[in-house]
Amino acid sequence: MDFALLRDAFWGLTFDGLALGAIYALISLGYTLVYGVLRLINFAHSEVFMIGTFGALVAASGIMGVKVEDDPRTGGSMILTLVVCLIAAMLASAFTAVAVEFVAYRRLRKRGATKLATLISAIGVSISLVEFFRIITHSLPREFPRIMEKSFLFHFAGADIRNDKVIVIVAAGLMMVALDQFISKSRLGKGIRAVSMDENTATLMGVNINRVITVTFFAGGLMAGAAAFFYILTYENTSFKVGFFLGISAFTAAVLGGIGNLRGALFGGFVLGLMETYTSAVFGTAWKAVISFIILVLVLLIKPTGLFGESITQARV
Amino acid sequence: MKKTRLVSLVAALGLATASVVAVAPAANAACSGKLKIAYQGPLTGGEAALGINELNGVKFALKKFLAANPKANVDPVVYEVDDQGDPAVAAPIAPKVAAEECVVALVGPAYSGASKVSLPVYLSAGLAVITPSATNPTLPTFGKGIFHRAVLTDDYQGPAAARLIVQNNKKATVFLVNDASDYAVGLQKTVDITLAGRVVGKDVTPTGTTDFSATIAKIKKSKATAVFYSGYFSQAAVFVKQLRDSGSKIVFASGDGTLDNQFVKLARKAAEGALLTAPAIPFETASPALAKEMVAAGWTPGVYTTEAFDSANFFLEAIKAGNTDRASINKYVSTKSSKGLSKTLKFDADGEVSGADVNGFVVKNGKIVLLGAIK
Repeated sequence: MDFALLRDAFWGLTFDGLALGAIYALISLGYTLVYGVLRLINFAHSEVFMIGTFGALVAASGIMGVKVEDDPRTGGSMILTLVVCLIAAMLASAFTAVAVEFVAYRRLRKRGATKLATLISAIGVSISLVEFFRIITHSLPREFPRIMEKSFLFHFAGADIRNDKVIVIVAAGLMMVALDQFISKSRLGKGIRAVSMDENTATLMGVNINRVITVTFFAGGLMAGAAAFFYILTYENTSFKVGFFLGISAFTAAVLGGIGNLRGALFGGFVLGLMETYTSAVFGTAWKAVISFIILVLVLLIKPTGLFGESITQARV
Repeated sequence: MKKTRLVSLVAALGLATASVVAVAPAANAACSGKLKIAYQGPLTGGEAALGINELNGVKFALKKFLAANPKANVDPVVYEVDDQGDPAVAAPIAPKVAAEECVVALVGPAYSGASKVSLPVYLSAGLAVITPSATNPTLPTFGKGIFHRAVLTDDYQGPAAARLIVQNNKKATVFLVNDASDYAVGLQKTVDITLAGRVVGKDVTPTGTTDFSATIAKIKKSKATAVFYSGYFSQAAVFVKQLRDSGSKIVFASGDGTLDNQFVKLARKAAEGALLTAPAIPFETASPALAKEMVAAGWTPGVYTTEAFDSANFFLEAIKAGNTDRASINKYVSTKSSKGLSKTLKFDADGEVSGADVNGFVVKNGKIVLLGAIK
């Protein structure tokens, strides 16, 4: 155990943990939104994320003509490339999420299938998407070109603050605020909240359930796509199996914060990112999952509905 | 209920009989057609790059042999056995290979884990194997008699890697990182023992780790001048990129799991200056002329292509000398020697090769450059 490292490099680790947590938080929003509305754990959401990373990759090379051997771009060209890749990733993920809902869940729902059947259908979609990408990428990881030179912005209490991670934390924060506003203020957002509280009453009040569900999947997909872009910008590579570990972590974050609860998912994401980084430093990276998940179990033992609670109708989606 | 049970019992018995009948001819039936050379290794899945390197070497050797000996009774197509480098996949495949009476020799298995489950099957079928890349030291115990190895084991690679780091910097202090795989843990252990007092810290980053922030914080705090990463290329590339992006300029060293052009392709500039080791020699270095000919024939050489080429040639020499069954071919490779591109193959009683080297490499201008044998 190395508590001295945690003390000496505290701010650096905190900063790295927040950047990782921002990615978890964005992915976990998709799990929590869908659960809030359908009471369904969308196991294909990790692949919605994975497809987002490939969306950014295709946009960088196909639309913006960036080659992996190119030098990083600067000025307007860099900003344009970043924005195009972000939008491409968000759209790729959002349309995948909507397509998954249409193909795998909608029919089952109409025919009154059990929750278990829907859950198995979700796992089936997840596996077929992973295998499909495994085949078309020949099982090889793909590199993402460096679009923006990574440099240190400033030095703070022993921590080097790097530009790409600042962008990830700030942009992720803005997206979450936008989603929160959408859910609480807009008409469609109110529809989502109404359905999540009581589906039948919402229908009687004239809410179009199918439309609400499509919007829910689309919004969750947009957030996963943003996470995919930030992930690939930071780590600069992806593969068919990239969604697996991140998906599990993000799902954990959603449960930790209280699944079905938007702000809970956000909080859970950041807490998990920090927890993983701190435990890696103190106990060694191999112990990261062990310690993090023991903490999760302990939290759930004390508060089974997660830190923020599952059924706070006001704070809930 | 009873009826169902009876039906399943009959079905199970039938299946069992069928498999016994299918495997039975393996032991002594002679081949009535052309003799086949098999290759076993990962040809699909995450590790496929290495298997394809080796398969290309075997294909090229076979093509050259048949061009020189057009009347030889050898199938021009290599019998491909795809075990994905995974013992669980290899276990059910090995008996099928053993049952193919025309398969008289096998180059491979490429991976140590897959070798452990396959060798006992080939031993009972009397099928000779020469592995070009499985480096776990314990393998002879699984197939003594038919097992041969064209490269040195991890017992040699680890100490050589340690020497390379020290030769590079006499005052080197080293931080060790491994990916928790069998191969990585075994290799790191021998590096650790040789470096002894120079090791200033360790961390384990299991396969699938994407964020190395904490490991890098540890490395920086340890003030190490070099890091030895024990594991495979795809994760090594992610790690070295994050290490360089953190501003660290310390030496990055790794073993044959990282010696792959994919590593340079994925890590780009971060790979520059990386020190790598392998008990193998690149085909282009061993014979520039043959390498050109191979590329022209449509096969790209990579790590372990040379060793696979040499192994296949030894078997083909045995056939040329008039040996047409498994027993005589095994006897030939176990007792004779063959002058290969990498070294002269001559096996001891355990099937281990002698007079071989571990080579050092450095990544320079986006290419893996041979430094030479590590003394």
